[in-house]
Amino acid sequence: MTAVLEGRNLSRAFGGFKALDDVSISVERGQIRGLIGPNGAGKSTLIDVLSGRAQNWSGRIFLGEEEITGLKPQQRRHRGLARSFQRTNIFPAITVRTQLQVAARALGTSGLAEVIDALALGDLLDRPAQEISYGDQRRLDLALALVGRPQLLLLDEPAAGLTVEESLKLADILKDLVHRWDVTVLIVEHDMQVIFSICDHITVLHLGRILAEGKPEDIKRHPDVIAAYLGSEAP
Amino acid sequence: MSAAELDPLAGARGTSMRNRWPFHLALAAAVALAVGFAAPHLIASVLWLSLLTQAIVDMILATSVGLLVRQNGRISFGQAAFFGLGGYLFAVLMVREIASPELALAAALIGPTAIAFLLGLVIARIPGVAHAMLTLAVGQAFYEVAFKWRELANGDDGMSVPLPRTLFGVDSGLFQSPSSMLVICWSLLVVLLLGLALMARSPFGQLTEAIRENEERARFIGYGTTLPRAVIYGISAFIAALAGVLQTLYDGYISPEMLHWSLSGMALIMAIVGGPKVLWGPALGAFLLFFLEDLAGDATEYWPALVGGTVILVTILLPQGFAGLIAGLGRRAGDRLGWGRP
Repeated sequence: MTAVLEGRNLSRAFGGFKALDDVSISVERGQIRGLIGPNGAGKSTLIDVLSGRAQNWSGRIFLGEEEITGLKPQQRRHRGLARSFQRTNIFPAITVRTQLQVAARALGTSGLAEVIDALALGDLLDRPAQEISYGDQRRLDLALALVGRPQLLLLDEPAAGLTVEESLKLADILKDLVHRWDVTVLIVEHDMQVIFSICDHITVLHLGRILAEGKPEDIKRHPDVIAAYLGSEAP
Repeated sequence: MSAAELDPLAGARGTSMRNRWPFHLALAAAVALAVGFAAPHLIASVLWLSLLTQAIVDMILATSVGLLVRQNGRISFGQAAFFGLGGYLFAVLMVREIASPELALAAALIGPTAIAFLLGLVIARIPGVAHAMLTLAVGQAFYEVAFKWRELANGDDGMSVPLPRTLFGVDSGLFQSPSSMLVICWSLLVVLLLGLALMARSPFGQLTEAIRENEERARFIGYGTTLPRAVIYGISAFIAALAGVLQTLYDGYISPEMLHWSLSGMALIMAIVGGPKVLWGPALGAFLLFFLEDLAGDATEYWPALVGGTVILVTILLPQGFAGLIAGLGRRAGDRLGWGRP
C-alpha cells in the first residue's frame, strides 16, 4: 500500500510541555484512520501540525511523494489536504451558498453536488450560516473540507456536540463518501461508536507519544490502551 | 456531465425580487444621478450648495473608511493620510510644474493607492488595536512631513493651489463653482457606490468578505489572505485620495490639517454612525454629522459636546448605525410583501 500522508519524527512543545514527542505516522491510501487518546494526548496538535495550522518544531511531513513541511495551509489545501475543525469553523454571516461558491472557486466544483446532497445542505443554501442549527453548521464545516474532492481529509472531532443519532448518521455519510471518492481520512474523535464503526485502522496517542497502532479489534483489546484510555474493553 | 454537476450552486436562487438586483441597482444609481443633476436647479442658495458640496467630499472620505471596515474588518485611524496625500501630490506636482495638471491628478490618485497597497501587505496581517495604532502612526508620519517640511508646501501655513485654465479639457472654473462641483462630486460618489456594490457581489468581494468573517477558514479552503486585504487597502486609499483631490480643487488650498489624525477619527465616527455594514451607511453618516456639526455650531460655542453626545447616543441605541436601522426596516417590509431578503 502507498502512504498518502507520512509524518516523520514530529515534535511540538508548548513551553515545557511536549504536546508531540517524536511521533511518526503513516496513513495509507483509502484508509480511514482513527486517532484516539485521552484529553491532552496530542491528537489535535498532530492534526494542526499535519494541516499547517501549527508548525512542527522538528520532523518532516510528506503528502504522497512531496514534502509539505513548512507549506502554508492554503498550499497544502491545493495539494489535496483538507481539514475540518474541533470547533465549527465556518463563515457565520455569509450564506451557505456563497461560502461553498467561494471555496469552489479555489478548489473546483468536482463532486460538489454530491456533497450538498449527501450532507443535506440543499435547503439551506440561501441562509446565512449563523442562522442554521449547530448540526447543520457541523455538516457545512465538513462540506467546506470536502469541496474539490481532496485526496486526504483530516477531521478533528467532526461529531463533537452532535446527538448519538446525528453522529452515527454523519459516520455513515463519511464512510459512503470516502469509499465512493477514494479519499483517505485521518479522524480524531472521542465518540468510540463512530471510531469503531468507520475506521479500519486506529492510532492511539498518549502524552504526546504513540501508545498503540492496529486494527480496531486489536486496539479494543490492547491492555495499554484499556489502561490509559478506554478503561474497559470497548463495545 | 450535467450543468448542475458543473455548477451545482447556480440555478434558481430564491425570489425573483432578489434576482433582479442589477436592475434595482441601475435604477437607484440613475435616480441618484438625476437628483444630483437637478439639485443646482432646485437649490437657490449658494451657501447651501457649497455646504452640500463639502458634505459630499466628506461622504466620499467616510465611504473609504467604511470599505475597510466592511470588506477587511479593520479600523483605520490614518485614512486622512491618503486624503491629504491625494491633495498634496496634486498640488505640489502641479504648482512646482513637475507634471502637467492631468498627470498630477493621475499621480494624486495612483500614488496613495500604491502606498496603501504596499502598506496593506504588511499591516493587513496585524489585527485589532495594534492595527489601529499602526494606521495612526503611519498617518501621523505623513502629517509631520507636511507640517515640518516648509520647502514642500509652506509647512503649517499651507499652500494656495492656483488651478490651470483647463483640466482634461474642462474649464477649471467648474471645479470652484458650488453648483457644478456639487454635481461632479455627487456623480462621482454615486459611481463609486455603484462600483463598490458590484465589487461586493463579485467573486473578489465575496472572498474579502469571507476573509473578514474567518481568515483562518479562508486559508483552509485554499486562499492566501494578505493580498486580497492589501487590494482593499489600495481601493480604500484611492477613494480617500479622490476626496482629497476634489477638496483641493474646490478650495484651491492645501494644509497639513488634511492629513491630521483628527480628520481620520472624524471619518471613522461618520462611518460608524452611518453603519459600515451597509454600503451607503458611511456616506449617510457623513451627511448627517456634517449638518449636525453645522447646526450645532450655529446654536452654541460648545458644539463639539453636542455632537459628541449625539454620537454616544447613536452608538448605544443604534449599534448598526442609521443605515442598519433603515436596512432592517426595509428587510421587514420586504418580508411582509413576500419579496424575501432585499
